[in-house]
Amino acid sequence: MIENPIIEAHNLTVLYGRKPALWNVDFSLPRGKVIGIMGPNGSGKSTLLKAIMGVATPTSGYTKVYDRELDEVREKISYVPQRQDIDWDFPASVWDVVSMGRFQKRGLFKKLTSEDKDIIAESLEKVNMLGYSKRQISQLSGGQQQRVFLARALAQQGDLFLMDEPFAGVDISTEEMIISLLKEMKDAGKTLVIVHHDLHTAQSYFDWLVLLNTRLVAAGPVSEVFNDQVLTDTYGGKLTTISKISQELENKEFPIRHK
Amino acid sequence: MNLWEHITTFFSVENYNLFVISIGSGILCFAAGVVGTFTYLRKRALIGDVISHSVLPGVAIAFMLAGVKNPVYFLIGAILSGLLSIWIVDFVQAKSKLKPDTILALTLSVFFGVGIVLLTKIQHSGNAAQSGLDSFLFGKAASMSLGDVKLFSIIAIVNIIFITIFLRGFSMISFDENYAKGIGFNTTFIKSFLALLTVVTVAIGVQAVGVVLMAALLITPAAGARFLTNSIGRMLLISGVFGFVSGWIGVFISYSGNGMPTGPWIVVALSLFTLIAILFGRDRGVIARWKLRKSNNIKINNENVLKDIYKLADKGRNTLSIAQIIEKEKYRAPVLISILNRLEKNDFIDQIRGLVILNEKGKIAAREVIRKHRLWELYLSKYFQLEADHLHDDAEGIEHVITPEIEKHLLKLLQYPEKDPHQSEIPYE
Repeated sequence: MIENPIIEAHNLTVLYGRKPALWNVDFSLPRGKVIGIMGPNGSGKSTLLKAIMGVATPTSGYTKVYDRELDEVREKISYVPQRQDIDWDFPASVWDVVSMGRFQKRGLFKKLTSEDKDIIAESLEKVNMLGYSKRQISQLSGGQQQRVFLARALAQQGDLFLMDEPFAGVDISTEEMIISLLKEMKDAGKTLVIVHHDLHTAQSYFDWLVLLNTRLVAAGPVSEVFNDQVLTDTYGGKLTTISKISQELENKEFPIRHK
Repeated sequence: MNLWEHITTFFSVENYNLFVISIGSGILCFAAGVVGTFTYLRKRALIGDVISHSVLPGVAIAFMLAGVKNPVYFLIGAILSGLLSIWIVDFVQAKSKLKPDTILALTLSVFFGVGIVLLTKIQHSGNAAQSGLDSFLFGKAASMSLGDVKLFSIIAIVNIIFITIFLRGFSMISFDENYAKGIGFNTTFIKSFLALLTVVTVAIGVQAVGVVLMAALLITPAAGARFLTNSIGRMLLISGVFGFVSGWIGVFISYSGNGMPTGPWIVVALSLFTLIAILFGRDRGVIARWKLRKSNNIKINNENVLKDIYKLADKGRNTLSIAQIIEKEKYRAPVLISILNRLEKNDFIDQIRGLVILNEKGKIAAREVIRKHRLWELYLSKYFQLEADHLHDDAEGIEHVITPEIEKHLLKLLQYPEKDPHQSEIPYE
């Protein structure tokens, strides 16, 4: 058991229709670490972040952050959704997107202050994108889009960062920049939870791992969790069994739990 | 009456009614353009179509219950049945495996079908008050009463005010709904409120253009405005103004020509504006794209000729005759002469008595093109294992595309090489 966990998931189940995306997932995560969430495609990684952020609603179970209800601690959480989920042809500039990071503080109606603008500029500076402030977002490369999303999360000034596939489809220099930024943030005492799919880099990027395959396969320090057996369990045989059961639930309208 | 007389009568004080109606129709269409911008940005163009067709049964039922043509009853009926249609679309989508386009098409047809059946029933009922009810199909703004126009305009203005107040929320759910929810915005409320504003706008808009063309009023101005700006604020404004002017023009034409319908003319005017925007948009417009291609061609021609002159001059010939250049060039003589004249105007070469002399600036530019060409060849051969005889053609095209930044990147990547794969020297400044 972890003392004073930053995130705790208890019996977390999220269904899409009748198909479980997450199924009775239980874990707690320590503070101040770089934590990787890994698993094959469709194993519920993004859903887990969405459930923590309150974007996906659990069918049963719950997640707690700082041992509190989400709404009490929301301001401490910065969120980086998956880059591919967004239409980058939207009429907005880089500055407009990063400004959204301040809307949490200012709400739906209050104007951004000059302090907000300083924070926005500072966040852009940190990801080397200040020079692109006026650029229309459709003209950005994949790496630049990811930097913009990171800057927006930085502008939220949270203590806990939830990032969905920040390394997917970015160039080498962006990847290096993100890694050094992560180090800097960890040194500043932030906790980073990162959905990731590249097994090769897992050991060097993360202190702690959560391995998912709809159900929780393993969670713990990288040194304990990252071994052949666990990886086979996550990416190998079990996948087909779980997905076969899920398909039955979906096709034949079985309930996931009999009440 | 000629056109000028039409216009003077249109603006004369005696025609106060007509004046108010044209402005009112403009305001309705302004509101539709503004609300429709979000429909467009959320890629819900078809939802606009569903709502507009779905208000018809609401209008018919309102008439059957009240027995009189009262715009307030119509409005309430239209809003209720419009909201019902959205709710059905969302509900079926959440609960069934039907694809969204199927659900939209089904909902639209069912509501519209029921609406037509009810209208037909009313027409056969012998109720004298029903005449003109079919104007909901194609709209007849020019024949609206002054009171109706004022009422609808006020509602449209209230809608526009709400959009302005909720601009942040509406933009957020259109761009990145998950993030909006993640930072604690009540996205369910924001979405429902936007849906309500959309339905209300459609319900008053159908008075001007009718249910069949209402979707065009929502989507067309936004589609055009997108070509003119990259900012959502300006897009809303442009979209609204397109709507306003078209609404006004529609009433004007329908007043001038006997029996001309309002709605179709509004849509024609809107389409014209959108067409103009698509053609003349600054970055995305067809003409801007065409100009870009043309200036690329000029650049390519300039660079090719410069490069060849440089190579000829490198063989010890300091002055070249145009005939010598033509020998090496694939261009026809008149084309080459115009390229040479342009190069002289840009001060890359001098021309004296039919001779061409490459000056210092021209040499630097030519070396730049050759350097890019050879860098690209080297890059290809190093990273893609292409045969030596496949490199040249590729580099002939790409040498014009490489920007200074990409060149810097290539130089660094290849560690400032001296020779290309054919052992030719890579020229630096």
